[in-house]
Amino acid sequence: MNEFELSIIGPAFLASLLVLSTHVPLGTEVLRRGIIFIDLAIAQVAGLGVIAADTMGWEAEGWLVQIAAVSAALIAAYVLHWTDKRWPDIQEALIGVCFVLAATAGILMLTENPHGGEHLKELLVGQVLWVNVDQLLPVAIVNALVLIAWFWMRDHLRGFGFYALFAFAVTASVQLVGIYLVFACLIIPAISTRHISRRSIRIICGYGVGIVGCLAGLILSVRGDLPAGAVIVWSLAMSALIFAWLVWPMIRHKDHSAETNIG
Amino acid sequence: MAGLMRRVATLIVGLAATSTSSALDVFACEPEWGSLMQELAGDKAEITVATTAFQDPHRLQARPSLIAAARRADLIVCTGADLEVGWLPLLLRRAGNAKIQAGNPGNFVAAEYVRRIEIPATIDRAQGDIHPQGNPHIHLNPRNIERVADALTKRLQTIDPANSADYQSQLDDFQERWSDATGDWEERAISLEGMRLASHHRSFSYMAAWLGLDIVATLEPKPGIPASGAQLAALLEQLTPNPPAGVIRTPYENEKPSQWLSARIDIAEIVLPFTIGGTPDSVDLFSLYDETIRMLEEHIR
Repeated sequence: MNEFELSIIGPAFLASLLVLSTHVPLGTEVLRRGIIFIDLAIAQVAGLGVIAADTMGWEAEGWLVQIAAVSAALIAAYVLHWTDKRWPDIQEALIGVCFVLAATAGILMLTENPHGGEHLKELLVGQVLWVNVDQLLPVAIVNALVLIAWFWMRDHLRGFGFYALFAFAVTASVQLVGIYLVFACLIIPAISTRHISRRSIRIICGYGVGIVGCLAGLILSVRGDLPAGAVIVWSLAMSALIFAWLVWPMIRHKDHSAETNIG
Repeated sequence: MAGLMRRVATLIVGLAATSTSSALDVFACEPEWGSLMQELAGDKAEITVATTAFQDPHRLQARPSLIAAARRADLIVCTGADLEVGWLPLLLRRAGNAKIQAGNPGNFVAAEYVRRIEIPATIDRAQGDIHPQGNPHIHLNPRNIERVADALTKRLQTIDPANSADYQSQLDDFQERWSDATGDWEERAISLEGMRLASHHRSFSYMAAWLGLDIVATLEPKPGIPASGAQLAALLEQLTPNPPAGVIRTPYENEKPSQWLSARIDIAEIVLPFTIGGTPDSVDLFSLYDETIRMLEEHIR
Protein backbone atom coordinates (compact mmCIF):
# COMPACT_ATOMS: atom_id res chain seq x y z
CA MET A 1 0.00 0.00 0.00
CA ASN A 2 1.72 3.19 -1.13
CA GLU A 3 1.27 6.69 0.16
CA PHE A 4 -1.17 7.64 -2.55
CA GLU A 5 -3.44 4.66 -1.93
CA LEU A 6 -3.44 5.47 1.78
CA SER A 7 -4.39 9.07 1.11
CA ILE A 8 -7.38 7.89 -0.94
CA ILE A 9 -8.45 5.23 1.52
CA GLY A 10 -7.84 7.21 4.69
CA PRO A 11 -10.78 9.68 4.71
CA ALA A 12 -13.10 7.10 3.15
CA PHE A 13 -12.21 4.56 5.83
CA LEU A 14 -12.77 7.09 8.62
CA ALA A 15 -16.18 7.89 7.12
CA SER A 16 -17.05 4.17 7.04
CA LEU A 17 -15.99 3.81 10.69
CA LEU A 18 -18.26 6.69 11.67
CA VAL A 19 -21.20 5.15 9.85
CA LEU A 20 -20.52 1.74 11.36
CA SER A 21 -20.20 3.18 14.86
CA THR A 22 -23.90 4.01 15.06
CA HIS A 23 -25.34 1.61 12.53
CA VAL A 24 -24.02 -1.65 13.98
CA PRO A 25 -25.80 -1.20 17.35
CA LEU A 26 -28.89 0.38 15.78
CA GLY A 27 -28.98 -2.44 13.21
CA THR A 28 -29.37 -5.13 15.87
CA GLU A 29 -32.43 -3.30 17.22
CA VAL A 30 -33.87 -2.69 13.76
CA LEU A 31 -33.54 -6.39 12.97
CA ARG A 32 -35.11 -7.38 16.28
CA ARG A 33 -38.10 -5.14 15.63
CA GLY A 34 -38.34 -6.34 12.02
CA ILE A 35 -38.36 -2.84 10.53
CA ILE A 36 -35.39 -3.14 8.22
CA PHE A 37 -36.46 -0.59 5.62
CA ILE A 38 -36.77 2.19 8.14
CA ASP A 39 -33.46 3.73 7.09
CA LEU A 40 -34.57 4.02 3.45
CA ALA A 41 -37.79 5.69 4.56
CA ILE A 42 -36.13 8.10 6.98
CA ALA A 43 -33.41 9.06 4.50
CA GLN A 44 -35.97 9.68 1.79
CA VAL A 45 -38.03 11.91 4.09
CA ALA A 46 -34.89 13.80 5.08
CA GLY A 47 -34.33 14.47 1.37
CA LEU A 48 -37.92 15.61 1.07
CA GLY A 49 -37.31 18.12 3.86
CA VAL A 50 -34.47 19.66 1.88
CA ILE A 51 -36.59 20.00 -1.26
CA ALA A 52 -39.38 21.56 0.79
CA ALA A 53 -37.00 24.07 2.35
CA ASP A 54 -35.72 24.98 -1.08
CA THR A 55 -39.25 25.34 -2.47
CA MET A 56 -40.17 27.70 0.34
CA GLY A 57 -37.31 29.87 -0.81
CA TRP A 58 -34.91 29.33 2.08
CA GLU A 59 -31.64 29.39 0.24
CA ALA A 60 -30.62 26.05 1.52
CA GLU A 61 -26.92 26.13 2.24
CA GLY A 62 -24.84 24.45 4.89
CA TRP A 63 -26.56 24.37 8.27
CA LEU A 64 -30.00 25.22 6.94
CA VAL A 65 -29.94 22.15 4.71
CA GLN A 66 -29.03 20.01 7.68
CA ILE A 67 -31.72 21.53 9.87
CA ALA A 68 -34.35 20.98 7.18
CA ALA A 69 -33.20 17.40 6.67
CA VAL A 70 -33.11 16.50 10.36
CA SER A 71 -36.46 18.20 11.08
CA ALA A 72 -38.16 16.24 8.33
CA ALA A 73 -36.50 13.03 9.50
CA LEU A 74 -37.64 13.69 13.07
CA ILE A 75 -41.22 14.27 11.92
CA ALA A 76 -41.08 10.96 10.04
CA ALA A 77 -39.59 9.32 13.12
CA TYR A 78 -42.46 10.63 15.22
CA VAL A 79 -45.10 9.44 12.76
CA LEU A 80 -43.47 6.00 12.52
CA HIS A 81 -43.23 5.80 16.30
CA TRP A 82 -46.94 6.56 16.50
CA THR A 83 -47.89 3.94 13.88
CA ASP A 84 -45.65 1.46 15.71
CA LYS A 85 -47.77 1.91 18.83
CA ARG A 86 -51.08 2.06 16.99
CA TRP A 87 -50.64 -0.75 14.42
CA PRO A 88 -47.54 -2.73 15.43
CA ASP A 89 -48.52 -5.73 13.28
CA ILE A 90 -48.31 -3.76 10.02
CA GLN A 91 -45.43 -1.46 10.96
CA GLU A 92 -43.03 -2.78 8.28
CA ALA A 93 -45.68 -2.32 5.58
CA LEU A 94 -46.35 1.23 6.76
CA ILE A 95 -42.63 1.99 6.60
CA GLY A 96 -42.67 0.82 2.99
CA VAL A 97 -45.63 3.07 2.23
CA CYS A 98 -43.85 5.97 3.94
CA PHE A 99 -40.83 5.36 1.68
CA VAL A 100 -42.77 5.43 -1.60
CA LEU A 101 -44.83 8.42 -0.49
CA ALA A 102 -41.70 10.39 0.36
CA ALA A 103 -39.92 9.39 -2.85
CA THR A 104 -42.87 10.30 -5.06
CA ALA A 105 -43.64 13.49 -3.15
CA GLY A 106 -40.08 14.43 -4.06
CA ILE A 107 -40.82 13.89 -7.75
CA LEU A 108 -44.00 15.94 -7.53
CA MET A 109 -42.30 18.81 -5.72
CA LEU A 110 -39.41 18.75 -8.17
CA THR A 111 -41.67 19.60 -11.08
CA GLU A 112 -42.00 23.00 -9.43
CA ASN A 113 -38.46 23.18 -8.14
CA PRO A 114 -35.84 21.25 -10.08
CA HIS A 115 -32.92 22.71 -8.13
CA GLY A 116 -34.16 20.78 -5.15
CA GLY A 117 -33.23 17.74 -7.21
CA GLU A 118 -29.57 18.63 -6.90
CA HIS A 119 -29.90 18.84 -3.13
CA LEU A 120 -31.79 15.56 -3.06
CA LYS A 121 -29.00 13.88 -5.00
CA GLU A 122 -26.37 15.39 -2.73
CA LEU A 123 -28.28 14.06 0.23
CA LEU A 124 -29.05 10.53 -0.94
CA VAL A 125 -26.13 9.74 -3.21
CA GLY A 126 -23.12 10.55 -1.07
CA GLN A 127 -19.95 9.01 -2.46
CA VAL A 128 -17.57 7.65 0.09
CA LEU A 129 -14.45 8.32 -2.01
CA TRP A 130 -15.17 12.03 -2.18
CA VAL A 131 -15.35 12.52 1.55
CA ASN A 132 -13.08 15.21 2.94
CA VAL A 133 -11.71 15.04 6.45
CA ASP A 134 -13.34 18.37 7.37
CA GLN A 135 -16.78 16.88 6.64
CA LEU A 136 -16.18 14.19 9.23
CA LEU A 137 -16.04 16.30 12.38
CA PRO A 138 -19.74 17.35 12.52
CA VAL A 139 -20.80 13.76 11.81
CA ALA A 140 -18.45 12.50 14.49
CA ILE A 141 -20.07 14.84 17.03
CA VAL A 142 -23.61 13.81 16.05
CA ASN A 143 -22.68 10.13 16.14
CA ALA A 144 -20.95 10.46 19.51
CA LEU A 145 -24.13 11.98 20.97
CA VAL A 146 -26.25 9.25 19.37
CA LEU A 147 -23.98 6.55 20.79
CA ILE A 148 -23.95 8.05 24.28
CA ALA A 149 -27.73 8.21 24.24
CA TRP A 150 -27.93 4.67 22.90
CA PHE A 151 -25.64 3.00 25.41
CA TRP A 152 -27.00 4.96 28.34
CA MET A 153 -30.64 4.46 27.78
CA ARG A 154 -31.13 1.66 25.31
CA ASP A 155 -33.20 -0.33 27.77
CA HIS A 156 -35.53 2.62 28.21
CA LEU A 157 -35.70 3.54 24.55
CA ARG A 158 -39.10 2.00 24.08
CA GLY A 159 -40.79 4.70 22.16
CA PHE A 160 -39.91 7.85 20.30
CA GLY A 161 -36.32 7.91 21.58
CA PHE A 162 -35.22 5.04 19.35
CA TYR A 163 -36.81 6.51 16.24
CA ALA A 164 -35.36 9.95 16.98
CA LEU A 165 -31.83 8.60 17.43
CA PHE A 166 -32.28 6.77 14.20
CA ALA A 167 -33.32 9.95 12.39
CA PHE A 168 -30.13 11.73 13.48
CA ALA A 169 -27.81 8.81 12.68
CA VAL A 170 -29.24 8.12 9.21
CA THR A 171 -29.43 11.77 8.13
CA ALA A 172 -25.79 12.31 9.06
CA SER A 173 -24.50 9.09 7.49
CA VAL A 174 -26.37 9.02 4.23
CA GLN A 175 -24.76 12.27 3.07
CA LEU A 176 -21.30 10.83 3.54
CA VAL A 177 -21.62 7.42 1.98
CA GLY A 178 -24.95 7.17 0.17
CA ILE A 179 -28.07 5.15 0.79
CA TYR A 180 -26.81 1.73 -0.35
CA LEU A 181 -23.84 1.73 1.96
CA VAL A 182 -25.92 3.01 4.88
CA PHE A 183 -28.38 0.17 4.41
CA ALA A 184 -25.57 -2.39 4.16
CA CYS A 185 -23.82 -1.11 7.31
CA LEU A 186 -27.09 -1.24 9.22
CA ILE A 187 -28.35 -4.66 8.23
CA ILE A 188 -25.44 -6.89 7.16
CA PRO A 189 -23.39 -6.92 10.42
CA ALA A 190 -26.63 -7.34 12.38
CA ILE A 191 -27.69 -10.41 10.35
CA SER A 192 -24.32 -12.11 10.53
CA THR A 193 -24.22 -11.84 14.32
CA ARG A 194 -27.84 -12.67 15.09
CA HIS A 195 -27.06 -15.99 16.83
CA ILE A 196 -24.81 -14.33 19.38
CA SER A 197 -26.88 -14.03 22.50
CA ARG A 198 -24.62 -11.80 24.60
CA ARG A 199 -25.31 -8.27 23.50
CA SER A 200 -21.83 -6.82 24.05
CA ILE A 201 -20.14 -9.68 22.17
CA ARG A 202 -22.64 -9.34 19.37
CA ILE A 203 -21.89 -5.63 18.98
CA ILE A 204 -18.13 -6.22 19.04
CA CYS A 205 -18.41 -8.96 16.40
CA GLY A 206 -20.67 -6.70 14.32
CA TYR A 207 -18.04 -3.95 14.43
CA GLY A 208 -15.43 -6.50 13.38
CA VAL A 209 -17.49 -7.69 10.41
CA GLY A 210 -18.13 -4.10 9.38
CA ILE A 211 -14.55 -2.89 9.70
CA VAL A 212 -13.11 -5.86 7.81
CA GLY A 213 -15.75 -5.48 5.08
CA CYS A 214 -15.19 -1.73 4.65
CA LEU A 215 -11.41 -1.99 4.62
CA ALA A 216 -11.43 -4.89 2.15
CA GLY A 217 -13.86 -3.01 -0.09
CA LEU A 218 -11.74 0.14 -0.10
CA ILE A 219 -8.59 -1.81 -0.94
CA LEU A 220 -10.41 -3.63 -3.75
CA SER A 221 -11.70 -0.30 -4.99
CA VAL A 222 -8.22 1.20 -5.19
CA ARG A 223 -6.58 -1.90 -6.67
CA GLY A 224 -9.36 -2.59 -9.20
CA ASP A 225 -10.33 1.06 -9.81
CA LEU A 226 -13.99 0.43 -8.99
CA PRO A 227 -16.64 2.74 -7.46
CA ALA A 228 -15.99 2.35 -3.74
CA GLY A 229 -19.55 2.39 -2.36
CA ALA A 230 -20.69 -0.49 -4.54
CA VAL A 231 -17.60 -2.63 -3.86
CA ILE A 232 -17.90 -2.10 -0.11
CA VAL A 233 -21.50 -3.33 -0.10
CA TRP A 234 -20.27 -6.59 -1.67
CA SER A 235 -17.23 -6.95 0.55
CA LEU A 236 -19.42 -6.35 3.62
CA ALA A 237 -21.66 -9.21 2.50
CA MET A 238 -18.60 -11.43 2.00
CA SER A 239 -17.18 -10.47 5.36
CA ALA A 240 -20.53 -11.32 6.98
CA LEU A 241 -20.72 -14.73 5.27
CA ILE A 242 -17.19 -15.63 6.28
CA PHE A 243 -17.88 -14.59 9.84
CA ALA A 244 -21.19 -16.41 10.16
CA TRP A 245 -20.06 -19.65 8.47
CA LEU A 246 -16.39 -19.94 9.43
CA VAL A 247 -15.23 -17.61 12.17
CA TRP A 248 -18.12 -17.71 14.61
CA PRO A 249 -18.61 -21.52 14.54
CA MET A 250 -14.91 -21.87 15.37
CA ILE A 251 -15.04 -19.37 18.23
CA ARG A 252 -18.20 -20.93 19.61
CA HIS A 253 -16.70 -24.39 19.37
CA LYS A 254 -13.64 -23.31 21.34
CA ASP A 255 -15.88 -21.58 23.84
CA HIS A 256 -17.92 -24.71 24.36
CA SER A 257 -14.90 -26.96 24.76
CA ALA A 258 -13.40 -24.48 27.20
CA GLU A 259 -16.60 -24.49 29.20
CA THR A 260 -16.84 -28.29 29.24
CA ASN A 261 -13.20 -28.53 30.33
CA ILE A 262 -13.89 -26.26 33.24
CA GLY A 263 -17.14 -28.00 33.99
CA MET B 1 27.66 -5.44 -30.39
CA ALA B 2 28.06 -4.09 -26.88
CA GLY B 3 28.01 -0.60 -28.37
CA LEU B 4 24.74 -1.30 -30.15
CA MET B 5 23.20 -2.71 -26.97
CA ARG B 6 24.25 0.39 -25.08
CA ARG B 7 22.67 2.62 -27.71
CA VAL B 8 19.43 0.67 -27.63
CA ALA B 9 19.42 0.89 -23.86
CA THR B 10 20.01 4.65 -23.97
CA LEU B 11 17.22 5.02 -26.49
CA ILE B 12 14.77 3.07 -24.32
CA VAL B 13 15.71 5.08 -21.25
CA GLY B 14 15.36 8.25 -23.30
CA LEU B 15 11.90 7.25 -24.53
CA ALA B 16 10.79 6.34 -21.04
CA ALA B 17 11.99 9.70 -19.81
CA THR B 18 10.09 11.67 -22.47
CA SER B 19 6.89 9.73 -21.86
CA THR B 20 6.93 10.25 -18.10
CA SER B 21 8.84 13.21 -16.79
CA SER B 22 8.61 15.84 -19.51
CA ALA B 23 5.07 15.13 -20.69
CA LEU B 24 2.32 17.41 -19.47
CA ASP B 25 -0.34 15.56 -17.46
CA VAL B 26 -3.73 16.62 -18.73
CA PHE B 27 -7.12 15.72 -17.23
CA ALA B 28 -10.00 16.18 -19.69
CA CYS B 29 -13.53 16.08 -18.30
CA GLU B 30 -15.16 15.08 -21.60
CA PRO B 31 -13.90 13.14 -24.64
CA GLU B 32 -14.16 16.14 -27.01
CA TRP B 33 -11.58 18.06 -24.97
CA GLY B 34 -9.33 15.01 -24.76
CA SER B 35 -9.42 14.82 -28.54
CA LEU B 36 -8.76 18.54 -28.98
CA MET B 37 -5.85 18.26 -26.58
CA GLN B 38 -4.47 15.41 -28.66
CA GLU B 39 -4.62 17.66 -31.74
CA LEU B 40 -2.96 20.60 -30.01
CA ALA B 41 -0.33 18.97 -27.83
CA GLY B 42 0.19 15.57 -29.44
CA ASP B 43 2.81 13.50 -27.66
CA LYS B 44 3.74 16.36 -25.36
CA ALA B 45 0.70 15.54 -23.24
CA GLU B 46 -0.38 12.48 -21.29
CA ILE B 47 -4.18 12.71 -21.43
CA THR B 48 -6.73 11.16 -19.06
CA VAL B 49 -10.37 11.48 -20.08
CA ALA B 50 -12.81 11.31 -17.16
CA THR B 51 -16.01 10.39 -19.00
CA THR B 52 -16.91 8.34 -22.06
CA ALA B 53 -19.57 9.03 -24.68
CA PHE B 54 -21.85 6.66 -22.80
CA GLN B 55 -21.67 8.54 -19.52
CA ASP B 56 -23.72 11.60 -18.71
CA PRO B 57 -21.18 14.38 -18.02
CA HIS B 58 -23.67 15.86 -15.53
CA ARG B 59 -23.10 12.82 -13.31
CA LEU B 60 -20.05 10.76 -12.48
CA GLN B 61 -19.17 7.91 -10.10
CA ALA B 62 -16.02 8.52 -8.07
CA ARG B 63 -13.30 6.02 -8.90
CA PRO B 64 -9.82 6.02 -7.32
CA SER B 65 -8.13 6.49 -10.71
CA LEU B 66 -9.98 9.77 -11.26
CA ILE B 67 -8.70 11.17 -7.98
CA ALA B 68 -5.21 9.92 -8.86
CA ALA B 69 -5.34 11.54 -12.29
CA ALA B 70 -6.57 14.86 -10.88
CA ARG B 71 -3.87 14.76 -8.23
CA ARG B 72 -1.01 14.50 -10.72
CA ALA B 73 -2.55 16.74 -13.43
CA ASP B 74 -0.77 19.88 -14.64
CA LEU B 75 -3.88 21.01 -16.49
CA ILE B 76 -7.57 20.12 -16.43
CA VAL B 77 -9.72 20.91 -19.44
CA CYS B 78 -13.45 20.94 -18.78
CA THR B 79 -16.58 22.44 -20.31
CA GLY B 80 -17.72 24.54 -17.36
CA ALA B 81 -21.01 26.50 -17.48
CA ASP B 82 -22.17 24.25 -14.62
CA LEU B 83 -22.02 21.05 -16.70
CA GLU B 84 -19.71 19.31 -14.21
CA VAL B 85 -20.99 21.17 -11.15
CA GLY B 86 -22.23 17.94 -9.56
CA TRP B 87 -18.81 16.32 -9.30
CA LEU B 88 -15.88 18.47 -10.40
CA PRO B 89 -15.72 20.72 -7.31
CA LEU B 90 -15.70 17.61 -5.11
CA LEU B 91 -13.01 16.01 -7.22
CA LEU B 92 -10.85 19.16 -7.16
CA ARG B 93 -11.18 19.41 -3.40
CA ARG B 94 -10.34 15.77 -2.93
CA ALA B 95 -7.38 15.96 -5.31
CA GLY B 96 -5.75 18.72 -3.27
CA ASN B 97 -3.69 19.82 -6.29
CA ALA B 98 -3.14 23.59 -6.24
CA LYS B 99 -2.19 23.76 -9.92
CA ILE B 100 -5.66 22.86 -11.17
CA GLN B 101 -7.86 24.75 -8.71
CA ALA B 102 -10.29 27.28 -10.19
CA GLY B 103 -8.60 30.53 -11.18
CA ASN B 104 -5.15 28.99 -11.64
CA PRO B 105 -3.58 28.52 -15.10
CA GLY B 106 -3.98 24.76 -14.78
CA ASN B 107 -7.77 25.08 -14.71
CA PHE B 108 -9.10 25.59 -18.25
CA VAL B 109 -12.84 26.18 -18.70
CA ALA B 110 -13.82 25.91 -22.36
CA ALA B 111 -17.23 27.59 -22.05
CA GLU B 112 -15.58 30.87 -21.04
CA TYR B 113 -14.28 31.33 -24.58
CA VAL B 114 -17.47 30.93 -26.60
CA ARG B 115 -20.73 32.82 -26.85
CA ARG B 116 -23.23 30.66 -25.01
CA ILE B 117 -26.84 30.38 -26.08
CA GLU B 118 -30.04 29.75 -24.13
CA ILE B 119 -28.92 31.95 -21.25
CA PRO B 120 -32.15 32.48 -19.31
CA ALA B 121 -33.24 36.11 -19.09
CA THR B 122 -34.59 35.48 -15.62
CA ILE B 123 -33.69 32.63 -13.34
CA ASP B 124 -37.04 31.13 -12.54
CA ARG B 125 -36.95 27.88 -10.65
CA ALA B 126 -40.13 26.74 -12.35
CA GLN B 127 -38.43 26.57 -15.75
CA GLY B 128 -36.55 23.37 -15.10
CA ASP B 129 -33.05 22.30 -14.38
CA ILE B 130 -31.72 25.30 -16.21
CA HIS B 131 -28.15 26.43 -16.34
CA PRO B 132 -27.98 30.12 -15.46
CA GLN B 133 -24.79 30.27 -17.52
CA GLY B 134 -26.51 29.03 -20.66
CA ASN B 135 -26.45 25.74 -22.51
CA PRO B 136 -23.14 23.99 -21.73
CA HIS B 137 -23.07 21.54 -24.66
CA ILE B 138 -20.88 23.86 -26.73
CA HIS B 139 -18.69 21.47 -28.68
CA LEU B 140 -20.98 20.72 -31.65
CA ASN B 141 -20.35 24.02 -33.38
CA PRO B 142 -17.02 24.22 -35.26
CA ARG B 143 -16.65 27.95 -34.51
CA ASN B 144 -16.64 27.13 -30.82
CA ILE B 145 -13.96 24.47 -31.29
CA GLU B 146 -11.91 27.04 -33.19
CA ARG B 147 -12.11 29.58 -30.36
CA VAL B 148 -11.46 27.02 -27.65
CA ALA B 149 -8.44 25.72 -29.60
CA ASP B 150 -6.92 29.24 -29.71
CA ALA B 151 -7.45 29.76 -26.00
CA LEU B 152 -6.22 26.31 -25.08
CA THR B 153 -2.98 26.79 -27.03
CA LYS B 154 -2.36 30.08 -25.20
CA ARG B 155 -2.88 28.22 -21.96
CA LEU B 156 -0.46 25.46 -22.97
CA GLN B 157 2.12 28.10 -23.81
CA THR B 158 1.69 29.67 -20.36
CA ILE B 159 2.07 26.38 -18.54
CA ASP B 160 4.84 24.95 -20.70
CA PRO B 161 6.67 27.94 -22.24
CA ALA B 162 9.63 25.79 -23.36
CA ASN B 163 7.48 24.25 -26.09
CA SER B 164 5.66 27.44 -27.02
CA ALA B 165 6.73 27.43 -30.67
CA ASP B 166 5.70 23.80 -31.13
CA TYR B 167 2.24 24.49 -29.72
CA GLN B 168 1.85 27.42 -32.09
CA SER B 169 2.73 25.38 -35.16
CA GLN B 170 0.44 22.54 -34.06
CA LEU B 171 -2.38 25.05 -33.59
CA ASP B 172 -1.80 26.57 -37.03
CA ASP B 173 -1.84 23.12 -38.58
CA PHE B 174 -5.03 22.16 -36.73
CA GLN B 175 -6.84 25.41 -37.54
CA GLU B 176 -6.06 25.00 -41.23
CA ARG B 177 -7.41 21.45 -41.36
CA TRP B 178 -10.36 22.40 -39.18
CA SER B 179 -11.35 25.36 -41.31
CA ASP B 180 -11.13 23.24 -44.51
CA ALA B 181 -13.29 20.58 -42.90
CA THR B 182 -15.76 23.18 -41.64
CA GLY B 183 -16.12 24.49 -45.18
CA ASP B 184 -16.91 20.96 -46.41
CA TRP B 185 -19.43 20.34 -43.64
CA GLU B 186 -21.21 23.60 -44.29
CA GLU B 187 -21.47 22.75 -47.97
CA ARG B 188 -22.91 19.34 -47.23
CA ALA B 189 -25.21 20.76 -44.62
CA ILE B 190 -27.04 23.03 -47.05
CA SER B 191 -29.35 20.10 -47.65
CA LEU B 192 -29.96 19.83 -43.89
CA GLU B 193 -31.13 23.40 -43.46
CA GLY B 194 -34.61 23.60 -42.04
CA MET B 195 -34.65 19.86 -41.21
CA ARG B 196 -37.26 19.39 -38.50
CA LEU B 197 -36.25 17.25 -35.54
CA ALA B 198 -37.40 16.45 -32.05
CA SER B 199 -34.72 16.15 -29.37
CA HIS B 200 -34.58 14.37 -26.03
CA HIS B 201 -32.76 17.12 -24.09
CA ARG B 202 -31.23 20.38 -25.28
CA SER B 203 -27.97 18.62 -26.07
CA PHE B 204 -27.75 19.67 -29.71
CA SER B 205 -28.72 23.34 -29.56
CA TYR B 206 -25.36 24.65 -30.81
CA MET B 207 -25.35 22.21 -33.72
CA ALA B 208 -28.92 23.15 -34.60
CA ALA B 209 -28.05 26.84 -34.57
CA TRP B 210 -25.00 26.20 -36.75
CA LEU B 211 -26.66 23.96 -39.35
CA GLY B 212 -30.04 25.68 -39.33
CA LEU B 213 -31.81 22.59 -37.99
CA ASP B 214 -35.26 23.19 -36.61
CA ILE B 215 -35.65 21.53 -33.20
CA VAL B 216 -39.43 21.58 -33.02
CA ALA B 217 -39.79 19.92 -29.63
CA THR B 218 -37.82 18.49 -26.72
CA LEU B 219 -39.04 15.47 -24.81
CA GLU B 220 -37.98 17.12 -21.59
CA PRO B 221 -39.87 20.42 -21.90
CA LYS B 222 -38.19 21.41 -18.65
CA PRO B 223 -34.60 20.13 -18.84
CA GLY B 224 -33.89 17.41 -16.29
CA ILE B 225 -37.53 16.74 -15.38
CA PRO B 226 -39.61 13.95 -16.94
CA ALA B 227 -42.53 15.26 -18.96
CA SER B 228 -46.03 15.23 -17.47
CA GLY B 229 -49.03 13.59 -19.12
CA ALA B 230 -50.36 16.94 -20.29
CA GLN B 231 -47.04 17.86 -21.85
CA LEU B 232 -46.81 14.58 -23.73
CA ALA B 233 -50.37 14.98 -25.00
CA ALA B 234 -49.57 18.50 -26.20
CA LEU B 235 -46.43 17.17 -27.86
CA LEU B 236 -48.39 14.53 -29.78
CA GLU B 237 -51.01 17.03 -30.77
CA GLN B 238 -48.33 19.42 -32.01
CA LEU B 239 -46.27 16.85 -33.91
CA THR B 240 -48.87 14.47 -35.38
CA PRO B 241 -50.16 16.72 -38.20
CA ASN B 242 -46.63 17.47 -39.37
CA PRO B 243 -44.18 14.93 -37.96
CA PRO B 244 -40.48 15.85 -37.80
CA ALA B 245 -37.87 13.78 -39.66
CA GLY B 246 -36.76 12.05 -36.50
CA VAL B 247 -36.05 12.28 -32.80
CA ILE B 248 -32.40 12.70 -31.83
CA ARG B 249 -30.64 11.84 -28.59
CA THR B 250 -27.13 11.23 -27.23
CA PRO B 251 -25.85 7.70 -26.49
CA TYR B 252 -26.14 8.29 -22.73
CA GLU B 253 -29.71 9.55 -22.63
CA ASN B 254 -32.59 7.29 -21.66
CA GLU B 255 -34.04 5.66 -24.78
CA LYS B 256 -37.59 5.29 -23.47
CA PRO B 257 -38.98 8.78 -24.25
CA SER B 258 -37.68 8.80 -27.82
CA GLN B 259 -38.83 5.20 -28.38
CA TRP B 260 -42.25 6.22 -27.16
CA LEU B 261 -42.41 9.20 -29.50
CA SER B 262 -41.02 7.36 -32.50
CA ALA B 263 -43.60 4.58 -32.06
CA ARG B 264 -46.49 6.99 -31.61
CA ILE B 265 -45.92 9.16 -34.64
CA ASP B 266 -43.81 6.75 -36.69
CA ILE B 267 -40.59 8.73 -37.03
CA ALA B 268 -36.95 7.61 -36.94
CA GLU B 269 -35.00 7.38 -33.70
CA ILE B 270 -31.53 8.79 -34.34
CA VAL B 271 -28.80 8.22 -31.76
CA LEU B 272 -26.12 10.72 -32.76
CA PRO B 273 -22.58 10.10 -31.49
CA PHE B 274 -22.60 13.44 -29.58
CA THR B 275 -18.93 13.07 -28.69
CA ILE B 276 -15.83 11.05 -29.49
CA GLY B 277 -16.57 7.35 -29.06
CA GLY B 278 -20.35 7.71 -29.35
CA THR B 279 -20.27 5.53 -32.48
CA PRO B 280 -17.40 3.21 -33.47
CA ASP B 281 -16.42 5.53 -36.32
CA SER B 282 -16.30 8.74 -34.26
CA VAL B 283 -12.66 8.54 -33.28
CA ASP B 284 -11.71 12.21 -33.26
CA LEU B 285 -13.32 15.64 -33.67
CA PHE B 286 -13.21 15.43 -37.46
CA SER B 287 -14.89 12.03 -37.72
CA LEU B 288 -17.38 13.04 -35.02
CA TYR B 289 -18.67 15.88 -37.19
CA ASP B 290 -18.52 13.70 -40.36
CA GLU B 291 -20.55 10.96 -38.71
CA THR B 292 -23.10 13.34 -37.23
CA ILE B 293 -23.79 15.04 -40.54
CA ARG B 294 -23.86 11.70 -42.40
CA MET B 295 -26.43 10.28 -39.97
CA LEU B 296 -28.64 13.33 -40.33
CA GLU B 297 -28.35 13.20 -44.14
CA GLU B 298 -29.68 9.63 -44.07
CA HIS B 299 -32.92 10.87 -42.57
CA ILE B 300 -33.73 13.83 -44.81
CA ARG B 301 -37.12 13.44 -46.38
